[in-house]
Amino acid sequence: MYAIAIHGGAGAVPRATLSAEREQRYRRGLEAALDGGYALLERGGSSLDAVATAVRILEDDAVFNAGHGAALTREGAAELDAAIMDGRQLRAGAVASVRHVRNPIELARRVMEKSRHVLLVGAGAEEFALEEKLTLVPNHYFRTAERLEQLEFERRGERVSDLVPPAPPTTQGTVGAVARDAAGNLAAATSTGGMTNKRPGRVGDSPIIGAGTYAKNGVCAVSATGHGEYFIRAVAAHHVCTAVEYRGLTLQQAVHELLHGILRALGGDGGLIAVDRDGQIVMEFSTEGMFRGARDARGRREIAIY
Amino acid sequence: MSRPKLPALPCLLLLAAAATRIDPAAAADARPLVIVIHGGAGVIEPARMTSAKEASYRAGLAAALDAGYAVLERGGTSLDAVTAAVRTLEDDPQFNAGRGAVLNDQGDAELDAAIMDGNGPHAGAVASVLHVKNPVELARLVMEKSPYVLLVGEGAEEFALEQGMALMPRSYFRTEAREREFEETRHLEWAPRNTGPHAETTVQHDSRGTVGAIALDRAGNLAAATSTGGLSSNKHRGRVGDTPLIGAGTYADNHSCAVSGTGQGEYFIRGVIAYDVCALVQYRHLQLAQAVHEVIHEKLRRAGGEGGVIALDPAGNLAMDFNSIGMFRGARDSRGRREIAMYRNDAKP
Repeated sequence: MYAIAIHGGAGAVPRATLSAEREQRYRRGLEAALDGGYALLERGGSSLDAVATAVRILEDDAVFNAGHGAALTREGAAELDAAIMDGRQLRAGAVASVRHVRNPIELARRVMEKSRHVLLVGAGAEEFALEEKLTLVPNHYFRTAERLEQLEFERRGERVSDLVPPAPPTTQGTVGAVARDAAGNLAAATSTGGMTNKRPGRVGDSPIIGAGTYAKNGVCAVSATGHGEYFIRAVAAHHVCTAVEYRGLTLQQAVHELLHGILRALGGDGGLIAVDRDGQIVMEFSTEGMFRGARDARGRREIAIY
Repeated sequence: MSRPKLPALPCLLLLAAAATRIDPAAAADARPLVIVIHGGAGVIEPARMTSAKEASYRAGLAAALDAGYAVLERGGTSLDAVTAAVRTLEDDPQFNAGRGAVLNDQGDAELDAAIMDGNGPHAGAVASVLHVKNPVELARLVMEKSPYVLLVGEGAEEFALEQGMALMPRSYFRTEAREREFEETRHLEWAPRNTGPHAETTVQHDSRGTVGAIALDRAGNLAAATSTGGLSSNKHRGRVGDTPLIGAGTYADNHSCAVSGTGQGEYFIRGVIAYDVCALVQYRHLQLAQAVHEVIHEKLRRAGGEGGVIALDPAGNLAMDFNSIGMFRGARDSRGRREIAMYRNDAKP
């Protein structure tokens, strides 16, 4: 059975402050990505193409924190991270801290398919993008009025020391997708602008294979969103897959243990989407909400926020 | 429900806890001070070694091993011990980390490092820095003085300056040997092959050495640190391997084990190798050596990857294993073990 799940970030918007109009924007964006990815699966496409397509649609949508409309660093620039993993051969590609790549997920896929590396960062990653004939865009392409406002808001928070933990998760958005195709192949993809007002050069869990993104055929595919530093230390995505593979937990149990046991004990929150070998989807979070959607060949189709 | 076959385990733990209360000396003896280091895995064989070179490598490893062990012996933390050992290896131009790191396709040393405290766990890492003398120290500052885990590139160097760290010119890292290697290999073209089972087997100069250390201190805390200049010459600028990625090349958790890896980083990333060793110990209840064997000789080899790891569990059991020809390595503990080795069958004191 083929299936796809997507997320557009966890902990994003307190229910009380989300206007009906804005909620519609989120829902429309999630639907477009979900259906875009699902359409590929439906016509026999690979899970890899499906997750890449869904994530690209979310990157292009300004309401989500990835690509156009990404959160801004404390210097007002967008710095983007993304990863993709093909569960069939455990192939993976990722980029971090790029400033001029319109669709970081496409560059991550090129790293996987056209280079002998898995992770490229910064100017070196952009050099590779040029070698691959991807067009670079100016950094202001990513910047939106809303993100600038958010940055101003965070700055007014007068965070004087780097040691003070980042503000409550108002902008943890990250986008991601996981899928299982008709042939049973699993894939995962994640893309993000990271946290608002972050220090330039900060890289979270999204582009780290095993932390924010992981896929292994026969086991599971995971894409995470949340307070990245905790997901890195917990090796979150891989933890879920090892719990399924080594201990025989169901995907639901594994995800629950990670989010409500391990991450909670460490003090981190967030959410994740995952799909197992049979196409079972799990979408769970420890925050107030998570933008998410799921669709499968049995007729399930849902979009949810809280 | 996942482990019905192990009813005896809680009893054993209770007994161990009881022993601690009754006889501290016996407990200290039951859990030794341990440090294990590596200086990279690869084509390390007697045929490629002169006795002077071999002696020089052994001396470099011994200096790092003893520097780290001295910290443990005077009651220091495993975190301080691995930092001291890795810093010593970074400063030694023979090893691929800090000064003497391999050069990227621009002719620069581009450095990555990570450190992890098994008590927490806490972690810090830096990648793609060009001017930091001891990347492991910057990784530690990221862990201790920032709310982040990983900083890369210029942002990481900005943080270094804010922390009062002096930066070095790029020329500091370049050694004659690495420049020669760079010139010899720069004309070689690398085919794209993230996919094939034999990717990267044509490395001309075996300098994927990476350095690392893991330790267990008196308080029972594990720590791991790894530092590298990355792939053999001519890596793409901006390429980051497994070293600074928590779970791939570096991992420590007091509940399972500490691991530092070296080898073909791309395979270590995709297999989440360091964490996988610890997951097998914690969740499949394998002995440390078995877990390392399964990951290095089964999984990594099957994937087509080459390299090795050093690993250490909370009881002080250690493993140093590799599927490459050799691995620079050393181990020392409070039970009198002290060994330095580099070939497969070789354990000279």
